[in-house]
Amino acid sequence: MIAMMDSFRNILVMIELEARRIRHDRTELYVRAVQPVLWLVIYGSVMSAVKLIPTGGMSYIAYITPGVLLQSTAFVSIFFGLTIVWEKESGILKKLLVTPASRSSIVIGRSMAAGVRSILQAVIIIPIAMLIGVAFIPNPAYFILAFALIFLISAGFAAISIFIASFLKTRERFMGIGQAITFPLFFASNALYPIELMPPLLKEFALVNPMSYAVDAVRGLLISGNISNLAFDVSAITIFVVVMLAIASVSFKRIIE
Amino acid sequence: METAVEINGIKKVYSGTIKALDGIDLRVSAGKVFALLGPNGAGKTTLMRILTTQIKPTSGDASIFGLDVMKDDAETRKLISYVPQEMSVWTDISGYENLLIYAKIYGIPASERKKLINGMLRTMGIESFAGSLVRNYSGGMIRRLEIACALLIKPKILFLDEPTIGLDPSARKTVWEKLMSFKDENGVTIFFNTHYMDEADTYSDQIAIMNAGKIVKLGTAQELKHSLGGEIISFGIEGKISAGAVKKVRGIKIVTGATADENGLRVFASDAGVALPRITDILEKSGVYIKEVSIKKPTLDDVFLKYAGTKIETAERVTDIRYTRERIKR
Repeated sequence: MIAMMDSFRNILVMIELEARRIRHDRTELYVRAVQPVLWLVIYGSVMSAVKLIPTGGMSYIAYITPGVLLQSTAFVSIFFGLTIVWEKESGILKKLLVTPASRSSIVIGRSMAAGVRSILQAVIIIPIAMLIGVAFIPNPAYFILAFALIFLISAGFAAISIFIASFLKTRERFMGIGQAITFPLFFASNALYPIELMPPLLKEFALVNPMSYAVDAVRGLLISGNISNLAFDVSAITIFVVVMLAIASVSFKRIIE
Repeated sequence: METAVEINGIKKVYSGTIKALDGIDLRVSAGKVFALLGPNGAGKTTLMRILTTQIKPTSGDASIFGLDVMKDDAETRKLISYVPQEMSVWTDISGYENLLIYAKIYGIPASERKKLINGMLRTMGIESFAGSLVRNYSGGMIRRLEIACALLIKPKILFLDEPTIGLDPSARKTVWEKLMSFKDENGVTIFFNTHYMDEADTYSDQIAIMNAGKIVKLGTAQELKHSLGGEIISFGIEGKISAGAVKKVRGIKIVTGATADENGLRVFASDAGVALPRITDILEKSGVYIKEVSIKKPTLDDVFLKYAGTKIETAERVTDIRYTRERIKR
């Protein structure tokens, strides 16, 4: 019980640390918002004009807004998780390992801290989407739930990258790998187009892609208001996050040695 | 006297073949300053990482104040603090915030945190920079902040891996002065790795010389120096000394050791004044011309050269340069 409390406290400390870092330097936050905004403003406007993709009645920009939000979430979190390789090279990780904080609380805390960045990213993207005419469901409860899901799935994405980072010896291979994970997650999901349009093999991948469930849930909560799948989506995301955190905690040993 | 560290037959083999540690036995008493001296790659860091519960040895066991570092690792971590060789603070938050984060990780109650952190900042002499981002600190200040983070919990033993690597002499001195004044007030045991002879000489109560995964000599700085005999006579020569001549020199009663290389001959003797004429005699008879002679008291450098068989500085410079570059890159 005490161990649980300690772990919980350490997770909160890791989140606090991330919030403090961002408070001192917000540049990265703004720089990372550029790409998702371009997706909405340029890709979104052009494709809306084409009107080829069935969106179930909503505008195309509105349709892809949740997808772009989650792409940004995945990108930020995966990059964030990989930076643990950096910390291995500096002494931060070594030092943390010698504190009473348990190893799993270090991994989970770090993964959850990615959520702080993802949420702030969303806070920048959503007003811009509103400016270019995306209508959101004006329900605060839905917003809170959508943000909670973005926070949660960030931890899962960050955990994927901690798992992958455990195979990396140095930071050199790092950038390419970040993109190699994010792009399949993004394109082989319902972020930009419905899964029904995909060829069979891709469709199957999209159905096990956690991104699809997150997009579906956030789209329901923020854009369409149709939350009939919500319980299923939330369960899928939770399972994904829990499994990934467990895998990351186990693979963490390899990072230390 | 209470035992702070006890190590029995520790071995560590990496990837099945690379022997980092090759059977270490060691005992360190509580309240002492202990220096592990050796060149890069000697296994100092590996040993320290085992003692601080980060990695497990291939065989053997170790305990800290009676706690087994493998079986009671969680308990051990509550007693110890550690400053790794590489930078271990977050540079994008302030010094105060670094201490605050560690205070929270260590579970120091909110009511005590502020007082404790401010006290620690004062002890380490960085209170006027508490609110600045660490990235603006000098190397010496970063080290002092790292030590402050480690001492926050008043550990029973502090592990320092190359505490002053890459620092200029005056920054090194300040770091040690602050450490020593903390030690005098709080009685913490200090276990540090270094390849700076002078640091081991000046600040430690006991020194273990380590080379190629083994401890080759153990003692106080005085004992180690005395073990070489009283004085060192160095001959600069022209021509090559025969092995036979070196053997003859070694045969002189008051000579405790002699090594020859391309630059000349080094002889350890309890009384240089008595040994010198005899050695000169042997050298002249073997047909070498003596260019110069110097006599000095042994330093730890000489001790190291004798027991480890290599000079420590050659390894040191390369790593120093690499390390300094790393720092600049950040």
